[in-house]
Amino acid sequence: MSFKSAVITFPGSNCDRDALCYLKDLTKGEVHNIWHEETSLPKVDLVILPGGFSFGDYLRSGAMASKSKIIDEVVKHANDNRYLLGICNGFQILTEIGLLEGALIRNKKLKFLGKNCFIKKKFKNNFNLSIKDNQILQIPVAHNEGNFYCDTETLNLLKNNEQIAFEYCKGEFSNTEENINGSIEAIAGITNKKKNVLGMMPHPERAYSDFHQSQDGRLIIESLIS
Amino acid sequence: MNEELILQHGLTLDEFQVIRKYLNRDLSIEELGIFSAMWNEHCCYKTSKKWLKKLPTDNEIVIQGPGENAGVIDLQDNDGIAFKIESHNHPSYIEPFNGSATGVGGILRDIFTMGARPIATLDSIRFGLIETEKTKYLLNGVVHGIGHYGNCIGIPNIGGECEFESTYDFNNLVNAMAVGHVQKDKIFYSKPKSIGGLIVYIGSKTGKDGIHGASMASDVFSEEDEDEKRPSVQVGDPFMEKLLMEGCLELMSSGLIESMQDMGAAGITSSSVEMASKGNVGVYINLDKVPLRQPLSAYEILLSESQERMLAVIDKKNNHKVREILQKWQIDYEVIGEITDTKRVVFESNNKKVVDLPVEIIVDDAPEYDREFYIPRKRKNKDFDFSKIKLEDMIINLLTNLNYLDKSWVFDQYDSTVMGDTIREPGQSSGIVKIHGTQKVIGASTDCNPLYIRINPYEGMKYTVAESYRNLIACNINPLAITNNLNFASPLDPNIMGELVLSIHGLKTAAVKFNTPIVSGNVSLYNQTNEIPIKPTPVIGMVGSNMDLNKINTNKFCEIGNKILILGKQLTKNCSPYLLQDQKIAFNICEFNDLEGLDLDFEKKIANCVLELSDLKCIMSCNDISRGGIFSALLKMQYKDMGFRVKVPDPIDLFCEYSAGYVIEIRSRDFEEVTSFLTKKGAEYLEIGEIIKEGIEINSKKFDYFDIMNKYRNDFEKIIS
Repeated sequence: MSFKSAVITFPGSNCDRDALCYLKDLTKGEVHNIWHEETSLPKVDLVILPGGFSFGDYLRSGAMASKSKIIDEVVKHANDNRYLLGICNGFQILTEIGLLEGALIRNKKLKFLGKNCFIKKKFKNNFNLSIKDNQILQIPVAHNEGNFYCDTETLNLLKNNEQIAFEYCKGEFSNTEENINGSIEAIAGITNKKKNVLGMMPHPERAYSDFHQSQDGRLIIESLIS
Repeated sequence: MNEELILQHGLTLDEFQVIRKYLNRDLSIEELGIFSAMWNEHCCYKTSKKWLKKLPTDNEIVIQGPGENAGVIDLQDNDGIAFKIESHNHPSYIEPFNGSATGVGGILRDIFTMGARPIATLDSIRFGLIETEKTKYLLNGVVHGIGHYGNCIGIPNIGGECEFESTYDFNNLVNAMAVGHVQKDKIFYSKPKSIGGLIVYIGSKTGKDGIHGASMASDVFSEEDEDEKRPSVQVGDPFMEKLLMEGCLELMSSGLIESMQDMGAAGITSSSVEMASKGNVGVYINLDKVPLRQPLSAYEILLSESQERMLAVIDKKNNHKVREILQKWQIDYEVIGEITDTKRVVFESNNKKVVDLPVEIIVDDAPEYDREFYIPRKRKNKDFDFSKIKLEDMIINLLTNLNYLDKSWVFDQYDSTVMGDTIREPGQSSGIVKIHGTQKVIGASTDCNPLYIRINPYEGMKYTVAESYRNLIACNINPLAITNNLNFASPLDPNIMGELVLSIHGLKTAAVKFNTPIVSGNVSLYNQTNEIPIKPTPVIGMVGSNMDLNKINTNKFCEIGNKILILGKQLTKNCSPYLLQDQKIAFNICEFNDLEGLDLDFEKKIANCVLELSDLKCIMSCNDISRGGIFSALLKMQYKDMGFRVKVPDPIDLFCEYSAGYVIEIRSRDFEEVTSFLTKKGAEYLEIGEIIKEGIEINSKKFDYFDIMNKYRNDFEKIIS
């Protein structure tokens, strides 16, 4: 059976087209684009909340998008044990909805960070099945608020439940940073307890095509489809 | 009308008399405001027009040359590329964050007004010496502003330049360039199609920001002015622009609008007057209908430069549908007037005509000056003393000069991979993006060599165009067309006017030879503060293409063991201006020798060799040689801890500038093929060495690779903080 997916577009989303291409090219299945004011969501295997500046990041990144009409449906989709992936601003929205723990605060240097970063998987889940332990992935980041933060109690829960999906690491060559944005324990992506919802700051949809600098972003979709 | 009021509006008394005589009546204050906005340099090019007319603006691929919101070139099939560069110098000096942000916003609107989706931006930014706190503040603010706007709207920033020189201490430059993709049969123009069409206002509400921005941009600064001028800097909202862009592109692709004009400099005045002039029609606008953020007078509405606003003409029958689409994007929309057959510009406020002027007097009768200019004196050539300079010192001089260091600190604050089509990011010789859904790529580069142009405006400008050209060639991008941003000091000084005239002449010569017409551009004059003029800084943005993304070159080393070849002709050490300046051999501008004349045929010949060798897949990586010579080019090519071992007759040769200079990396097994190809073409080459692991070796002298690389990569941030 073919893999079905959808991408939600909020006003100010700017990676929605990229996410749609990523899904179309890699899943070869049906892909829907859903406007935030819709009140129903087709039955799909995966929903992506894309990157961007939903509602201009006004109030707080992701805060206003988390109150959009479509969000009830997105929550239902997650509660149905289907996959939900929030990338960058999508990750911020997921923490604002409360589907994921913690918060994303400003990068340690208080500046936007747009560059390649290196990550590896921490705990196994369905989003990173195809990635080998200690395999270093090169994937771009582009964010102002990507510094993952939570209290110690939450951090322990995330660890005990093996909810940390990705962490930043050094690349193969000199002059790469271990923890580019100051995230607690270099966390780059976490899942919910059931591990069907993933939020991550790096953009796998910018690292999959032959002409991209890296094709490591494919591994996430390949993991879900396998 | 009293003289003071006229002068305050930036008009000369002579100019005022022309208007007064034509109208044969007194002007309303609103009308005076309109002339103030439309007759300044920024809008009517009164000083530069005579010379700009001489530029080549057309060839077989030009779809739209200068005169529209952006130029458009043909990229085969149904693909067109719209692009333009524009300055936001003065606003960025007064308020660096908002000044630069709205510079990006303005240029993006120019692109999507043409019906094109922006696919890349570049920025050419120049600051004074970093030793002053002011420069640090400006640098931080400008980079933050550019990033804030471009990142939010989601257009990748793929390159540009960032330079530091004392000449910009009190007058930094911010030139923003944008490139867009348009379907050739869906290009939109500002010319309205039918009498009776509704004039509609789309976008943000009008506020007090930016009132008199355009005339401020044509003003000479003094330092005390800064605080006073701050209210005329516009404030940008990239989120609103994103909505506006999506809304407008949707309207255009659904065929609901006839024409569109961005409300940029001089706001509603300029956009409506231009619409009327282009269509040879009249406009009637009721200012009471304009959506306002706060109560404003008619005068203020006419001159406000509030951002994120568009003026469009629609057929009456589409009114409802247009409103529906814009409501989805939560954008303000109001019918404010209509296209008339009067050939007059009429603005009404409170049931009173506050402006009623023939379009002709505003546009066609705008002043055009033939200002006096001097041609610089011929320089006497002399030999400089290089005996005391050591290789180690030369390297240190580069590594302690911001202009040579890796500028990731700047570029990392920009999103360069959004839209998923980026192929070469900032920091390479040219930025490259793919045309979505095709195999075609677009490359773009911005350049200027102010020192060269200061020494010899004509030859210096040829070098500037050639540098942009080389930047594209090095990536195997075929150069196609140019946009320019002519930044100069006051043209009232005949020496500066001479720089303007001669550099335009140089631009023309090079553009004709390279068959790269100038399709859009911008002029920024009066770049001086406290009577200190900036060096002439006519910035070039060059765009090119390759129809096959698999054929483009990288600028980064590929493989250890590969050979390094040099193409082109070295300028002598006595005639390498940046070598003399940056190695602290010449200090005063009058000391420099004249430039060696640039042989443009030679540039073309070598460029064709690089393109052909690239297509033969013989070039593994390639970089052009510019400021800092071969050494600096090699430093930029380092990648994945690969370095170089080179041998040259004289180490100074590594720092000399070049004409048609390229560093190419080739595999040993291709050496025969490449060198016999070059010999056949009559192109001299120099084999200087090879790529090695984690090392830098010059004439058998070993340098600490990681020490040099750490300085190169990380000292920029240390120096500027």
